[in-house]
Amino acid sequence: MGVGLAEARENLMEATAYDDIQPIHPEPTSFWRRYVFSMDHKVIAKQFLWAGLLFLLVGGALAMMIRWQWAYPGRAVPLIGSIFLRGQGGAIGPATYMTVFTMHGLIMIFFAITPILIGAFGNYCIPLMIGARDMAFPFLNMASFWTFAISLVLVICSFFGQLGAAGAGWTTYPPLSTNIGTPGSGQTFMVAAIFVTGVSTIMGGINYVTTVIRHRAPGMTWMRMPLTVWGLWLTAVLNVLFVPVLGSAALLLFLDRVFGTQFFIAGAASVRGGGDPILFQHLFWIFGHPEVYILILPAWGIVNDLLSFFARKPANWYRGSVYAMCTVTVMSAIVYGHHMFMTGMNPMLGQSFMLLTLIISVPAEILFLNWLRTIWNGSIRTEPPMLFALGMVFVFGMGGLTGLYLGATATDIYLHDTMFVVGHFHLTMAAASFFGSLAAIYHWFPKMFGRKMNPRLSKLHFWWTIVFMTLLFTGQLIAGYAGQNRRLYNPYEYDFLKHLLPLNRYTSWSAFILMAGQFVFVWNFIHSLVAGEKAEANPWQVGTLEWTIPSPPPHHNYDVIPAVLRGPHEFANPEVREKLGRDWIGQSEELAGSEPGAAAAVARA
Amino acid sequence: MTLPPLAAPLQGHGWGMPHDASLDGWRIDELINVTSVFVIILFFIMVAWMLTAVFRHGRSHTAKYDHGDTRRSIAVALGIAVAIFFVVDGHLFINSVLVWQRIFGNFAWAEAQPQAVRIEVNAHQWAWAIRYAGPDGKFGTPDDIVTLNDVVVPQGAPVIFQVASVDVIHSFNIPNMRMKIDAVPGMVNRVWFTPKETGQFDIGCAQHCGANHYKMRGVLTVLPPADFARWYRDASANSARAWDPDDKDAQWAWDWQKHARI
Repeated sequence: MGVGLAEARENLMEATAYDDIQPIHPEPTSFWRRYVFSMDHKVIAKQFLWAGLLFLLVGGALAMMIRWQWAYPGRAVPLIGSIFLRGQGGAIGPATYMTVFTMHGLIMIFFAITPILIGAFGNYCIPLMIGARDMAFPFLNMASFWTFAISLVLVICSFFGQLGAAGAGWTTYPPLSTNIGTPGSGQTFMVAAIFVTGVSTIMGGINYVTTVIRHRAPGMTWMRMPLTVWGLWLTAVLNVLFVPVLGSAALLLFLDRVFGTQFFIAGAASVRGGGDPILFQHLFWIFGHPEVYILILPAWGIVNDLLSFFARKPANWYRGSVYAMCTVTVMSAIVYGHHMFMTGMNPMLGQSFMLLTLIISVPAEILFLNWLRTIWNGSIRTEPPMLFALGMVFVFGMGGLTGLYLGATATDIYLHDTMFVVGHFHLTMAAASFFGSLAAIYHWFPKMFGRKMNPRLSKLHFWWTIVFMTLLFTGQLIAGYAGQNRRLYNPYEYDFLKHLLPLNRYTSWSAFILMAGQFVFVWNFIHSLVAGEKAEANPWQVGTLEWTIPSPPPHHNYDVIPAVLRGPHEFANPEVREKLGRDWIGQSEELAGSEPGAAAAVARA
Repeated sequence: MTLPPLAAPLQGHGWGMPHDASLDGWRIDELINVTSVFVIILFFIMVAWMLTAVFRHGRSHTAKYDHGDTRRSIAVALGIAVAIFFVVDGHLFINSVLVWQRIFGNFAWAEAQPQAVRIEVNAHQWAWAIRYAGPDGKFGTPDDIVTLNDVVVPQGAPVIFQVASVDVIHSFNIPNMRMKIDAVPGMVNRVWFTPKETGQFDIGCAQHCGANHYKMRGVLTVLPPADFARWYRDASANSARAWDPDDKDAQWAWDWQKHARI
């Protein structure tokens, strides 16, 4: 940056004084404005959190039904069956079964993990961690949540659709997802729900992108941002770029279903040439592969920060992690072809996608090495957020390694569409983002609600979850390696899979026990909310900005917008230890006698 | 049809991959197994590293003030990442490319073999319609052999499938032959393999295709070449006798696509 440009920038910063673009608004007093149609990012974050946790429970219950069917095919489902499947004698039929796994996938991805990681922690962490008073567009933020709420209504409608809920798989491949394969209104509702939730996500994405660019506190340079914010920001960039692609695919599919167009219909049902089913797969995976990074980037950022916070040691090669996450973001859309190796793709194209897929593992490895080296030589505090962060590293490591086989065109021939794929993407997308979400919940709960969660129950929850989740998804990997195709109502129709019943039953019991363990969390969460120990401003003794203000923060977050002096991971600094007698220092905390002029450089006029 | 009595399709056993009955399936198996060795080594290093860090560098250990951004530290990180990339990913990449060029994508070689068997598969909810050209070598003629869910092939000869679908996307999958290809409406896909062993094997659908996806099962029967020739002759004669020119639905077929897209 030339001198002239730097000067111009400084002048601009002075001209748009931080208080001018972010004035303190009075706190709304009416119930509706405060808790329902709120424009406060912290309230919207909690709304997303509640919605996400609720639907996480629904998605989990659906998963239990899938597992039940594989352990005890055709037998009446306990509890759930007698309530929801009375017409079928409590058992899951083949047509119901396909709606169960379809709704499980769609709910978990779009209506559980997305609202928790992006909706809740994106909203909560971004303004607080960059020292802003709110999002750049508070009204858009509110609109984003209530648009999301409309999509939740559509999801619920889908369950009551004639011929049952959506059943074409979460990937919604046409022609199966058109009236040829799934003529009921349940599928139409779900396609509409995906479109509407996409609108909500784009609104949120634009808001996050703008907020991080425009509302960083003075001195909060890009390279001083917590990695949590980096992860959430890159996710928002991907959302803004690629959710519109999903939206267009969903819209065309909606037209095919409702208005009789034939964008994606070919074969016997097409008239005058018809359309192209493979076109949908291209559109879907141009979104779909970035989507797996959309779900994991926030978790990467959060976990990277937490590993440093609880190892009481600076994050290893901060810039390397930032560059790695940026590289993954840029490459995320050009590797998607590995989902389509079996569609009759030209082998040359397949090889190109394989090479790109393998290359994207390099930045992921850099990031992973940074995590491992962050905890090395630290002073590790095994608090619940740290346990979940370590758990995330473990499951993501397994997920990343099992991805190798699926990225290569030769090994994918055998493993494509088997339970091995299911195990792999559950480890990366489900287990890793689940652990990331829980790490975030345990870490920011005191800030969000002003109370602490019970550490004993939190640790019990961790060990319960890590053990049974590992058993569960390893069981899926083994079943896939043995050849079990995914989405089979009854795998034992095939002779070569008959012997897998004991394995599947064993895996299912891991799932049931895993699910039961989540009620420890539900109890801990709700009990701590009302009766937890009051949290001080900075219970974890870390230096990011949100811990300098009371728990929970006031409506406008910061009375005075802080001036940031250093990065988020200043732990174990000998100078700080000597002067302040502690192993951490806040991002905006002045250390007498050091960094001369630093405060003056960022101080506002 | 005079099918010699055979055992039921091969039952799986253990938790490993199903029995490999094809000539080239071992190439996939070996690639999976070698990669697994790398993966398991990396996994144990990761676990050992994490456990050591957590147990040795706990609360009583003083954290080291280290941002890990020295030139040397960065070089180590890049070195490890690049080494893993070239060894593990490189091995996988090169072998995948070679095996596709030499075997799985080498239709020119398979088509050139005089004993090659050509089969058209037209998938629909929820069955596989199978068609052989018959003695005249032309698809869509009265001597075509047409079966449902029943594929008979000779041992030791390349078998080339052209696969399409009438309604939704299916995926033609024979795990024992390490073979899979999507059946997509509106296009013809190709796949080939050489059966090494006689016997009966499951054909499955790998792509979710509706409520009865799980029942879309076919059977592959591999016969000794002489038995196959006898079956082929008899089946064709039967088909010619049963041919009904008015039954247009039964007359699906396409010209064999010598130079299909892939």
